[in-house]
Amino acid sequence: MNGNLYHNRTAQWIIYIVIFALLALVPFVFDNPFTLNQYARYIIFSLTAVSVSLVWGYGGILSLGQGIAFGMGAYGMGATMQMQFQDPESDPIPSFMLTNELETLPTVWEPFWSTPIGLTLALGIPTLFFLFFGYMMFQARVAGVFVAIMTLAMLAAWYSVVYDMQPFTAGFNGISPPLPFEIFETSVDPYSSLAYWICVAALIILTLSTKFILHTKFGLIVQAMRDDPERARFLGYNVAYYQTVLFTMSGFIAAIAGILWVMITQYVSPTSMEIMLSISMVIWAAVGGRTSLLGAIIGAFLINLGQSYAGDEFRATWLIILGVVFIAVVLFLPKGLTGLFEIIIGKLSGSNNGARQSG
Amino acid sequence: MAILELNNVVKTYNDYSVVNGFNFSVNEGELRCLIGPNGAGKTTSIDLITGRQKLTSGTVHFDGKNITKLLERQIVGLGIGRKFQVPAVFKELTVRENFEVALSEKRGPFQNMNPFSKKRGRKHFNRIIELAGLGSRLDSIAGYLSHGETQWLEIGMVLMQKPRLLLMDEPTAGMTEQETQKTSEIFKELKGDHTLVVVEHDMSFVRSIADVISVMHQGKMLAEGSLSEIEQHPKVKEVYLGTEGIN
Ligand SMILES: Nc1ncnc2c1ncn2[C@@H]1O[C@H](COP(=O)(O)OP(=O)(O)O)[C@@H](O)[C@H]1O
Ligand SMILES: [Mg+2]
Repeated sequence: MNGNLYHNRTAQWIIYIVIFALLALVPFVFDNPFTLNQYARYIIFSLTAVSVSLVWGYGGILSLGQGIAFGMGAYGMGATMQMQFQDPESDPIPSFMLTNELETLPTVWEPFWSTPIGLTLALGIPTLFFLFFGYMMFQARVAGVFVAIMTLAMLAAWYSVVYDMQPFTAGFNGISPPLPFEIFETSVDPYSSLAYWICVAALIILTLSTKFILHTKFGLIVQAMRDDPERARFLGYNVAYYQTVLFTMSGFIAAIAGILWVMITQYVSPTSMEIMLSISMVIWAAVGGRTSLLGAIIGAFLINLGQSYAGDEFRATWLIILGVVFIAVVLFLPKGLTGLFEIIIGKLSGSNNGARQSG
Repeated sequence: MAILELNNVVKTYNDYSVVNGFNFSVNEGELRCLIGPNGAGKTTSIDLITGRQKLTSGTVHFDGKNITKLLERQIVGLGIGRKFQVPAVFKELTVRENFEVALSEKRGPFQNMNPFSKKRGRKHFNRIIELAGLGSRLDSIAGYLSHGETQWLEIGMVLMQKPRLLLMDEPTAGMTEQETQKTSEIFKELKGDHTLVVVEHDMSFVRSIADVISVMHQGKMLAEGSLSEIEQHPKVKEVYLGTEGIN
């Protein structure tokens, strides 16, 4: 039996390496800082799509709440960068707090004086939140569309919290740290190649580690649970435990994306927790192919690139175009563009339908 | 000695007793057929044994241990495997991957993330594949299998776990005569090494494999005995009368 080259693991790794090398080379092609910054944003969106592919594509958990982790990471980073600018002696309180009539720095802001602690919180809090939230959902055996509804409701709740807690979060206006992020005594200019490469490095490391984990038996088991959780349970697996681990991993990745987002934009506002953003993450992954991490990356990249080239006159119709593309993919290409690619490669390498080389 | 023992088991859904004082006991190494008209409560009984449903009252003992209140995976861990009435396999995985998942020696998520863990139990793995007759289908996606092959896949998956007790809910449903024949070969092969409870409708299949038959009706045990005893049993005749009858 002739296997489909698409499923050949060596071929897969080669394609990943080629795509990542291309992404890493972007700064040598475009030396326009604006373009570079734009591409860094696509990279970050790709990372959120990876988190969706992991949890939804592999685990069958349709999370519409990835923005919770993304937003928490973003606010953590925003607070860290803001406090890098403040001075303990002469200027200890961010100006938006002063305009909101706070006279002392709120206790929750105190840890952000320290960059390492600030970053740890920016990453740790969303990850722990996903652990907790996932545990609550999955041990109660919430599944299918109810997961989508619960994550969406949770996202909406967090959105209104950050929106309403104006003295702590700057509410609707958001926080704009005046200076770029500084680490190891280096200022990371959002428009620099350095900033871009940090984002690419994060994407590469996280995607490859995720792929590596998915190639272990763990990856097989979560896919089995996606197909039939009941069967898996009666083979002795603790389905809720696996789902919680997977959900937490996806929260961790989305949180890193949120942190990088603020490094690249020097701005954080409730838009990071807007419903539309989290739904977009799902659309990117679906269009690219949710059962492929690389597919999700390419989906996010292409759609966002398309959006920017579509220009201002298309802004209004863009959502409609995206909606139509999404529906078309769901109906005709459940595995997205990657699925199309799989079929084409399969035809070329002459494998028969329904057979698949595992290895 | 009885390996499985149900005592006065009751399951009620909104005042309606689906299982109503069911007493049932199976000895180690036995192949028991559980028959009864549709809606008699056979599947529900299996659900109660395996923890999929909670008992309203009564007890279930396995190997002398009270398992009435245990979780599904704890019951599986003790050595009870089940095949569902509607065949349940992992449709998007290959046959080989289905078997790999079923061979669950280590069940925790982090244990299974270790890329260097050796694949153990290959001999057993290959033996089960041979028994299920799916050696040539290993790289097929499970969703593309025929109905009979799907049944064998699920039976094989349960066997991968080396359960001491196998509960098979209508394993030959939807099979052709030839496929049923092959399934009865599989079961005869398993007899002795395993304890089996087989829920069946197909009387010719039951005839070919059964030692002792239990008949369930309206949530209760109606009769129990050898094939000929059951066929002569007046109450059984009554229950099956007007339906297709035991033939
Ligand atoms: N969750 C449920 N709620 C209410 N009634 C149920 C439920 N599950 C099964 N039943 C009823 O219990 C009866 C026995 O069902 P079942 O155990 O599947 O029978 P069998 O497997 O012997 O054909 C049927 O009348 C069925 O309608
Ligand atoms: Mg039944």
